[in-house]
Amino acid sequence: MEMNQPNQEKVPFYRMIMDDFMLLLFLGVTIYAIFYLLWGVMELSNLPAIPDEIKKPLLK
Amino acid sequence: MSNTIEVTETHHEPSPNKGTIINTIFRVCDITGFKVDLRAEKLIRVNAVAAVVSLLLAVVAAILLVFTRYQPVHLLPAEWYYRLVTFHGLNALIFWIIFFEIAGLYFGSTVILNTRFCAPKLGWVGFILMVLGLVMSNYMILIGKADVMLTSYTPLKAHPLYYLGVILFAVGALIGVILFFGNLMIARREKTYGDSLPLVAYGLMTAAIIAVITLATGAIIYIPTFLWSLGLVQNIDPAMYKLIWWGLGHSSQQINVAAMVSIWYMVSFLAVGGTSINERISRTAFVLYILFICLASAHHLLTDPGVSSAWKVWNTSYAMYLAVLASMIHAFAVPSSFESAQRRWGYNKGLFEWLSKAPWGNPAFSSIILAVIGFGFIGGTTGVIFGMEQTNIIVHNTIAIPGHFKGTVVIGTTLTFMGITYYLIPLIFRRKIVGMGWAKWQPWLFFIGIALLSISMIVLGQLGVPRRHWDATFSGGPFTYNFNPAVDFFWTLMMLGGSLAFISVTIWIGIVVTSVFFGPRVNGPQDMQLKISPLAPPAKSHKGFEAPGTLVLTLIFLLVFLALFFLNWKWLAATWNVK
Repeated sequence: MEMNQPNQEKVPFYRMIMDDFMLLLFLGVTIYAIFYLLWGVMELSNLPAIPDEIKKPLLK
Repeated sequence: MSNTIEVTETHHEPSPNKGTIINTIFRVCDITGFKVDLRAEKLIRVNAVAAVVSLLLAVVAAILLVFTRYQPVHLLPAEWYYRLVTFHGLNALIFWIIFFEIAGLYFGSTVILNTRFCAPKLGWVGFILMVLGLVMSNYMILIGKADVMLTSYTPLKAHPLYYLGVILFAVGALIGVILFFGNLMIARREKTYGDSLPLVAYGLMTAAIIAVITLATGAIIYIPTFLWSLGLVQNIDPAMYKLIWWGLGHSSQQINVAAMVSIWYMVSFLAVGGTSINERISRTAFVLYILFICLASAHHLLTDPGVSSAWKVWNTSYAMYLAVLASMIHAFAVPSSFESAQRRWGYNKGLFEWLSKAPWGNPAFSSIILAVIGFGFIGGTTGVIFGMEQTNIIVHNTIAIPGHFKGTVVIGTTLTFMGITYYLIPLIFRRKIVGMGWAKWQPWLFFIGIALLSISMIVLGQLGVPRRHWDATFSGGPFTYNFNPAVDFFWTLMMLGGSLAFISVTIWIGIVVTSVFFGPRVNGPQDMQLKISPLAPPAKSHKGFEAPGTLVLTLIFLLVFLALFFLNWKWLAATWNVK
């Protein structure tokens, strides 16, 4: 079998990452999810509610 | 009859109990030598046809919109204006682009990798879902039940079937993307390519990863909105909706960028036998797209008060500039691959003989060069400038924003997709191009039309003209505004540009439909109207820069960019001038 050959050329670490599309998929989703999505959702979730004295006249 | 040879291969699929035998019928292309899985070929064809139909729907709406915004004609009543803005946006930005990209993903993962399609039946399920989604959403828009525009910001509410249509389309597209990864895994396992994916397939893999991000975000926002439209969810917070929706809306356009750049490299290879002068750098640029380009979605929230400056600045500047860097790398790498190959073919005189002796008669080549120019000079420069928190304030919600993305999605992506179609017709549909004379100047007409349209819209936006507005004169409204008289000139230019682009798209669709359905069959390399170049010979010597002409062109681009950059800051300063 090919995979048992003892003299297989060692793949450089950089190229190993570049060629691993599942790892790249994971990294792409994670960076986006943390910096854009979760951070943004957290900021919006922590906004204080509009005080009633401002909200009521606006909704009239 | 085609001269291609049909080959049946038997594969043993490993399974826990026993191997499953799969018979795959391939055709060996007598022009490229590629092995084409016939099941994949059918899926590529139907997705490409659906893409062209979507584009036709989009441009019919577009020309009606142009003549509505052009005030002397002011064609449509208000409700039909907003209806067709919705219709145009969905068909142009979602259906046309994604159908074509699914065709591209199937082509890249099977034909280019010389491998078989992993699950063709699932491919058909995906395609049917996408068509169903297209029909359902478009029908709901046209009967007036979804006048919510593409963004469908809450609390605007459409009929549940509109949202369901979008969801079905997204699920179908996601199936296509998953199948792409399945094909990659088969190719890797069966070692149908060398150590690394070919650069074109690598770029398409980038597009597929961005598509996963996009479609997952789409599910996060469209499913609750669908439930809200059914009355099962009480409230969708408008700020939260906008944040998540743009994770879908903007990222979907980044799928285009990755797919478009991949096609640029492919056409360089096909037309002149060019390859990136540094493939490792080109691959790194694609990785930068994967990691950072989707953060650019934050551009759309730059004037929203709910999110902090830290969030805005990080996502639209520091991190996102790494994706801009990637685009700059490609902007150099693609033309330099052309130049390097042309020089190796002997076009060595001066700085630009490689360009003057380029195959301009090949419509795929001219499309790609024009797309690179338009994408860089119009879409790219304005994208970076409008993407900054400070300068964004002078154009936000003006017509300059659609002007910018006409420079990216239309002159960049659409022209690129049109260009590669000139190769797909003989290679995948096995038909000769009918009307080659028309095909040669169609990309130029499209470029001129969209450039006029896009630049006019950008200038109009700088003069304060709002986007998505039925009546820019605000007649009968409680407020009025006297625009600079120059706007009348730019409205006329916009109308002229839109009309030229419409004529050009009509010609392109005419060529494609006539060729695919009525064109003479391609029976071998002798019927190939577009050149497929052998790989350019190795360089005889390495003196100085490998691509000095491209270097000069890049410097010109940077100077234009700097001039526009400072001009926008000057306008910003003038906007806030206190007297």
